[in-house]
Amino acid sequence: MKLWMTTGGSAVAVIVTAGLWFLSGPGSAVSPTVLSSLPADAKRGELVFHVSGCASCHKPEDFDKNNADENTVPPLSGGQRFETQFGTFIAPNITPDKETGIGNWSVSDFATAMLKGVRPDGQHLYPAFPYTSYARMKLQDIVDLKAYMDTLPAISRTNENHELGFPFSIRRGLGLWKQLYLSNQPVINLVDPTPEQQRGQYLVEGPGHCGECHTPRNLAGAANPSRWLAGAANPDGDGTIPNITPHKSGIAKWETVDITEYLSSGFTPDYDVVGGSMAEVVENTARLPDRDRKAIAAYLMAIPPVADKKSDKK
Amino acid sequence: MKKRNLFLPVMIATMAFGSSLSSAADIEKTIEARQSFMRVYSFNLGLVGDMAKGKSQYDAEIAANAAKNLLALAKMDNGPMWPQGTSKEDPGLSEKTRALPETWTTYPKVSERHKELTEALEKFVNVAGKDLASLRMGIKDVGKGCKGCHESFRAEEEE
Repeated sequence: MKLWMTTGGSAVAVIVTAGLWFLSGPGSAVSPTVLSSLPADAKRGELVFHVSGCASCHKPEDFDKNNADENTVPPLSGGQRFETQFGTFIAPNITPDKETGIGNWSVSDFATAMLKGVRPDGQHLYPAFPYTSYARMKLQDIVDLKAYMDTLPAISRTNENHELGFPFSIRRGLGLWKQLYLSNQPVINLVDPTPEQQRGQYLVEGPGHCGECHTPRNLAGAANPSRWLAGAANPDGDGTIPNITPHKSGIAKWETVDITEYLSSGFTPDYDVVGGSMAEVVENTARLPDRDRKAIAAYLMAIPPVADKKSDKK
Repeated sequence: MKKRNLFLPVMIATMAFGSSLSSAADIEKTIEARQSFMRVYSFNLGLVGDMAKGKSQYDAEIAANAAKNLLALAKMDNGPMWPQGTSKEDPGLSEKTRALPETWTTYPKVSERHKELTEALEKFVNVAGKDLASLRMGIKDVGKGCKGCHESFRAEEEE
């Protein structure tokens, strides 16, 4: 009887382990055949690059943009440290350097990292890299983005390992996290959205990855969709990130022109100016065509208003 | 012209070596003064900003005068409003100011950013009264000038 129980218990444990192992796998890569049918346009990719805000995290720690030509993209050699409750993440080199960067990545490798958060060696990437938003990007935008990033200078700088404690140091565990929290579906179901609202939804929920800072996270570090864009603790330091839903504790008073002006010159409706980490985001949104800023505004005004909650911002 | 050349060294001198304030009341008064100073910026920006947004009708004279005011503000020597020991991390000031210690520890960076704002406003003075399209173009660079300091030297808002 005892033996039976032990054997039975072991069998269950084996099945559960096998199931978890299967679920935590990297899944399949994005098909190279589909990608090769899409014509790559580096010029369009430049805009995708700015919308996606790649340089904000991947520029070097000591980069001083004030001493750089404003039309030149910062080097993307990585090294910035992001201290979180899970440990410290260090942004990697994403220049086309073949040894230390991503110069050897195929378009499929690149798309798989962006959409599924998996590296070419099949290991999961940590969602400090916001593939949880990028997963909603169009393949065409990914292909264009890769074409543009291939034109940037290759810089040799070896990546450090992230500094994470157990169990977060086990990448395989992220497979299970993704089963729960990674989705390429829209966050908000807009009722009869206009093409403008749809474009705004794509920019905000996808490449713009606004929800990564503006939405509070649960204990597992995943965005809480029921409090979408309702404000959160600053993921990277002190202070709070504001509520940008059309609630009175958010930006209900902002008109379309207030939002578009903010995303262009950085002035709020009270004529304060954008500061902190959002200042860099506005530098990117200022490069967009005006219709895209209008689309972002149209989407933000259409999403559910959510009241501020103090506990979200701790 | 001579006056402007003096501006930077004077600011450096007052900010880096300015005497420390004696009492908590003095510190509070200083912080209030610089916050009020920012509100005067904000008021004048509102005049041109609302025109850029189409919330108010474009008026060349009002726009030109607001631009001149903004430049005048930027050219004022406000170094004494920013003495050492008045950042949000100094004792008792975390609720009173969002000025980051980097304002002083990375000096003269803040002063370089301020110089860029002054340059942007010098250009803005020439275009604000021209027509609406020029004002709209120009205000972007003014925003950039303001952002220069607010990005690195002001803390995120806390609730």
